[in-house]
Amino acid sequence: MMSNQAINSVVIVGGGTAGWITAGRIAAEHQHNPSIEVTLIESPDISPIGVGEGTWPTMRTTLLKLGISESDFINQCDGSFKQGAKFAKWVTGEDDDFYYHPLVLPQGFHKTNLAKYWHEQHQKSGKSFSELVCYQEAICEQGLAPKTIRHGEFDALANYAYHLDSAKFSAFLQQHCTEKLGVKHVLANVESITSHDNNDIASVITKEAGEIFGDLFVDCTGFSALLIGKHYDVEFVPCDDVLFIDTALAVQVPYELDDSPIASHTISTAQDAGWIWDIGLQHRRGVGHVFSSRHTSKERAYEQLGKYVGEGFEQLQLREIPIKSGHRKIFWKNNCVAVGLSAGFLEPLEASALVLVELSAQLIAEQLPACRQVMDVVANRFNQTFDYRWQRIIDFLKLHYMLSKRTDNAFWVDNRNPDTIPNSLQELMTLWQYHPPADHDFSSNNEVFPAASYQYVLYGMGFVTENLTHAVCDRDHNLALQQFQLNQQAISKASRLLPSNRELINKIRQYGLQSV
Amino acid sequence: MSKLVALNPLHHRHLKVDTKKVEEYGADLHMIPVGVNEFAKIVAQFPILFTKNAQTGQFNCIALTGFEEGENLFWQNAQFDSVYIPLSVMRQPFFVGQDEQSGQDYVMCINELSSVLSKTEGEALFDENGQATPFLAQAQECLAQLVSGEQQTFDYIQMLNDLKLLVPLSLEFTFIDEQSRKIQGLYSIDEDKLKQLDGKTLEKLNSSGSLQLMYTQIASLAQIYVLLNKKNQKLGEVDPWFSAAAE
Repeated sequence: MMSNQAINSVVIVGGGTAGWITAGRIAAEHQHNPSIEVTLIESPDISPIGVGEGTWPTMRTTLLKLGISESDFINQCDGSFKQGAKFAKWVTGEDDDFYYHPLVLPQGFHKTNLAKYWHEQHQKSGKSFSELVCYQEAICEQGLAPKTIRHGEFDALANYAYHLDSAKFSAFLQQHCTEKLGVKHVLANVESITSHDNNDIASVITKEAGEIFGDLFVDCTGFSALLIGKHYDVEFVPCDDVLFIDTALAVQVPYELDDSPIASHTISTAQDAGWIWDIGLQHRRGVGHVFSSRHTSKERAYEQLGKYVGEGFEQLQLREIPIKSGHRKIFWKNNCVAVGLSAGFLEPLEASALVLVELSAQLIAEQLPACRQVMDVVANRFNQTFDYRWQRIIDFLKLHYMLSKRTDNAFWVDNRNPDTIPNSLQELMTLWQYHPPADHDFSSNNEVFPAASYQYVLYGMGFVTENLTHAVCDRDHNLALQQFQLNQQAISKASRLLPSNRELINKIRQYGLQSV
Repeated sequence: MSKLVALNPLHHRHLKVDTKKVEEYGADLHMIPVGVNEFAKIVAQFPILFTKNAQTGQFNCIALTGFEEGENLFWQNAQFDSVYIPLSVMRQPFFVGQDEQSGQDYVMCINELSSVLSKTEGEALFDENGQATPFLAQAQECLAQLVSGEQQTFDYIQMLNDLKLLVPLSLEFTFIDEQSRKIQGLYSIDEDKLKQLDGKTLEKLNSSGSLQLMYTQIASLAQIYVLLNKKNQKLGEVDPWFSAAAE
């Protein structure tokens, strides 16, 4: 391959959400450049794992970039609105133990740091951190949507993400990418790979469609990691010494009634040796138990899932998914980049799977190397960026475990063992004993979780930052008191204006959202 | 309060409509629904904008008559002070409904609880022989215009949506009493996008009459200043003695 040869042909191996999001983002970004051609090869025999059913607010940007109408997406992907996550029983395991990680920043976040003052408010009112600084918990507790039917597509009163049916989302993206964005769809099984002298992939040879050449190959083949793993043998870096979850049991639970309420947040309820996710779609819930098989048995995990789901559980089809926590040492090797499960996997505690796909697809689409000569530069950047992002996500997930006070199973005790806590996180924890998390703790352009997310988890789980170092000035204190008040006003306003999540979704199905 | 029933010569033969009261329906509306077939008359006095229906999120065409809920700045000295009053006001107390028994479309209905109805005052609906009076015939004509206007307006809005020509209009005023008010939830025609349309599309819009409607709407925006003037006049005459304290 000539070093200054233009990168025109992008071949994505593997369908599923990772494949279609990547194909779509690249095709949309370069749709006015006729020489760029995007091909997606999908095996007709392998069905996608379809793990990601919860997104981040980034998905709104992704859909916009792809030129997708939000109403169509909601209608065709069983979509509903998600306003963050509720963590139940993570601290003490008692029935009244819960906290929120919402999607709205603390009130006045760019004016003052309410984390410095929330404790005195808490002592007066007994209210939690997220209740005091953010109006979104109140919306979620009332089952309200983040917007009204009068908001245009992607517009809202409160920041939001989605819950979606992964299989339907894949099919929806496939149709959009092939019909609107000119992505070529090839149904074929890849059987072998040919290489250039420099070890770049020259082509993949398929059983049904012959040899397919490309300048850049994207590995979206899921756990099988056909290109990055089997072909290039890039090392997999496990992190099961930090995060112990290794198995998921998942079911799809129908609603009792057509009009049953839809929770507008993901619910994560801690168990003996893991936790149960609960994601409300339009026509069903997605519920699953992820656990550490080193700390509990599959029978016990099954039993707990059954207890959580209740009546009718035995009739549901159970899926078991192995969770091999970790990621590739590098994600982009030669002219091959891994996106999705082939790049790595973590328990879905903070819905990191789809957002990593979106961020990867964005970087590839926006920084698509012009020619082979510059590809290694972009590849290095990609590898550094995503290694950093994986580490930060691992740290953030670990935070949820290390702050638990549960002692009912060795799972929780082991999670607090300092040997299992990454140094980067230990360092931050030392700092946060005296300084609340602030944006300067997270100075990289590639941050995934901002300081506010750490605040919600830290203070939601009862962590105390000593307020002894720097005297606070009256002016800042008064500004903070004002923000606490503004938040209470925002709660009243939102509670008055917003419809229930179910009501809004029914209206969208009936009338659609306007584009403005 | 309303109770809509199909108009019936037998049932309603003694009813009269007090036409002086009809305009009162608009007394406290700050937005009045209008149809595209009224634009040519509406533009003489009102800004013509779009707003979203609170229940469905769908766009409606409205004439803006005030800056806050309950305020119609054209309502002065107990009358609707305007050379043209929109059909959706003048149609009172008549509506178009579907007759459930016959399944017939477009049955003329009357709001039996309407305050404009009287046994003694106003225009009779039927004569002694049970025949429709000229007044009722005129009311029927008004409804027919409304119905045809609704469909045309629906098509017009759909076209604007398809071409993505609607744009939010954020109005911010400082009135004479130094109070600022921000008015949200209004939409207008995106002039920049309209200018960028290709010749073929423009030709189509021209021959369908939509282009003229759009420019009528754009021209009607100037009426916002007239409305603002009315608002300031109203504020100015509230109290000749006091002025507002500085904040």
